[in-house]
Amino acid sequence: MEDLKAWFPIKSGITQKTTGHVKAVDGVSLKVRKGETYGLVGESGSGKTTLVKSILHLIKPTSGRVRFDGIDLGKAKRTEIDKIRRKMQIIFQDPYASLDPRKTVLSALTEPMRIHKVAESKATAVRTAIGLMTKVGLNREHLYRYPHEFSGGQRQRIAIARSLAVEPEFIVLDEPTSFLDVSVQAQILELLDKLQREMNLTYLFVSHNLSVVQHISDRVGVMYLGKIVEEAASKIVYKSAEHPYSHYLMTAIPVPDPGFVRKEQPLTGDVPSPVNVPTGCRFHPRCRYATEKCTVDEPRLYVAAKTHLVACHYDINFLKHRSKLRQMSNSISLRVKKSKAQRL
Amino acid sequence: MKAIQRIDLEIFEHEVLALVGESGCGKSVTALTILSLLPQNGYVAEGEILLEGTDLLKKSSDDMRKVRSNEIAAIFQDPMTYLNPVLSIGTQLKESFLVRSDFPPNPEEVGIRNFLSTKRTANQLMSVHGKKREELAEELSLELLKLVSLSDPERMMHQYPFELSGGMRQRCMIAMALARRPSLLIADEITTALDVTVQAQILGLLKHLRDTIDASTLLITHDLSVAAETADRIAVMYAGNIVEVASAKELFRNPLHPYTKLLMKCIPDARKPKARLESIQGNVPDLIVPPTGCRFHPRCPKAMDVCQTNKPILRNQGEDHLVHCHLY
Repeated sequence: MEDLKAWFPIKSGITQKTTGHVKAVDGVSLKVRKGETYGLVGESGSGKTTLVKSILHLIKPTSGRVRFDGIDLGKAKRTEIDKIRRKMQIIFQDPYASLDPRKTVLSALTEPMRIHKVAESKATAVRTAIGLMTKVGLNREHLYRYPHEFSGGQRQRIAIARSLAVEPEFIVLDEPTSFLDVSVQAQILELLDKLQREMNLTYLFVSHNLSVVQHISDRVGVMYLGKIVEEAASKIVYKSAEHPYSHYLMTAIPVPDPGFVRKEQPLTGDVPSPVNVPTGCRFHPRCRYATEKCTVDEPRLYVAAKTHLVACHYDINFLKHRSKLRQMSNSISLRVKKSKAQRL
Repeated sequence: MKAIQRIDLEIFEHEVLALVGESGCGKSVTALTILSLLPQNGYVAEGEILLEGTDLLKKSSDDMRKVRSNEIAAIFQDPMTYLNPVLSIGTQLKESFLVRSDFPPNPEEVGIRNFLSTKRTANQLMSVHGKKREELAEELSLELLKLVSLSDPERMMHQYPFELSGGMRQRCMIAMALARRPSLLIADEITTALDVTVQAQILGLLKHLRDTIDASTLLITHDLSVAAETADRIAVMYAGNIVEVASAKELFRNPLHPYTKLLMKCIPDARKPKARLESIQGNVPDLIVPPTGCRFHPRCPKAMDVCQTNKPILRNQGEDHLVHCHLY
């Protein structure tokens, strides 16, 4: 089987205004491999929602390409795109908005089957729907109810069932558990894991919640202001984050342990707007290690280690070491000044 | 709908007490009840709310308004809904100072740190009129904005809420709450709508302010990790009841209630990302027809026969660790 690829460098501007561009996604290349779960993490303004819409071809990229299974979505014919649409599905964040309130669950599940001509007859469609409900942990009686009769967690299960109705290969999950309680979230994550194994699915899991992303993903990509600044295996990203921004992000996560002490001070300031992207490295205004070079040169994604990419000019250990040395030399020069004064 | 079945809760001077629970457990209703801000169809069936000895439930609505100005301050989740969009930050902040009948304070109290940390024992009313009061409020407002780590306070005084980011707005809300020198600060999900890095800043700010302000804080959150980081004591709520109360350290070291234990196991911990998550079967109960006996029994792995029929009582398990469960 061919590797599932979604690869695109998108250069600039999603909305073109004469006064400037909103550079929502500003040069992102990422590959999601078949069968894996790629977790995309970013705060507000990072561009992850725009990225998701671009992947699904709901937005046309300003430049760059999105490829699915080798086919360029920007250049493909309508018929090809329709076939691909069937293989790519999405689960949205808000379970209260993503289901049509006037359709029964059955109707919601069978409609995509009808559109993509998946079922041979109405009877088959119904039987598939029943199967799907069981798969997501609901009952067949639920098929005849309306969305408002269900809780948030149940609605997400229905949304998941709906996405499975057309036998997809790739599912994009955009903050699927953000609106759910923690106990329900755990249920949904468990379900997604099970379905992935049973049906050989590939996931792109987008969220601002790092703990959740780390848990469910194989690899994690950290987005900042329209670019991916770091990409690493989820097992190591918490302890070994190398990009200064990822590093701050990791230290900002609240941890369920009262004795835990933050290693670093939290970041100051807010995320800048994608209209005014800083020159050079876009993180430099908030980076405590920023140098002259950082204000001028935009770093590419460098290979820090096997499967670990970082977009920074420097190695973080070098930066930490250097800042420690600086602190030490500052305190030494103070002592020197003091002793001189005393001698006088 | 029996939103709160029974709560016995004490909050001590100068402490941060976190009220943790999932949606529908009644934690926000608790806050609203304390403030006497329940919607029209809500009422308190029985009980009392004692603030420094006085029962708030027995107060008239005029008196409660005074309480809300002077003694209890609340900050909610979405600052945009609570900040007046047509008034500048400066105007709103000064208003928080001027609304107190005993403003301006004693001469010794001037200077924001002194102002915030003095106890609210009888202040001598200075008969200072109009303009001087305003000037003092302006001065203290600027200092307060600096205290909550807002950069360029002079500029911010003239800005409007829509010009600020979420984090900045929450800091303004915190500033406005502190200006009233409350003895109780209620923070209801104040960081839920914020990004992780901004949340870390705000929680850091709360911890930093603890030593400066002379208030107790009731921190309401659904996020146990936020409680772990910020609170001295934690009270866990489920379906209208408090099921466990203990110091933060004790709760995590030795969780007793089955719900607390399960809740801790279903949170992904960033330090151990691949650890298996447990989930709690079933759904949060319908509070119009809640389960009989202990409201958690339908989902409880340790449920016994008595759990279905009798409500458990809050028992002290030593070390000020209270549990609401038949197992103990």
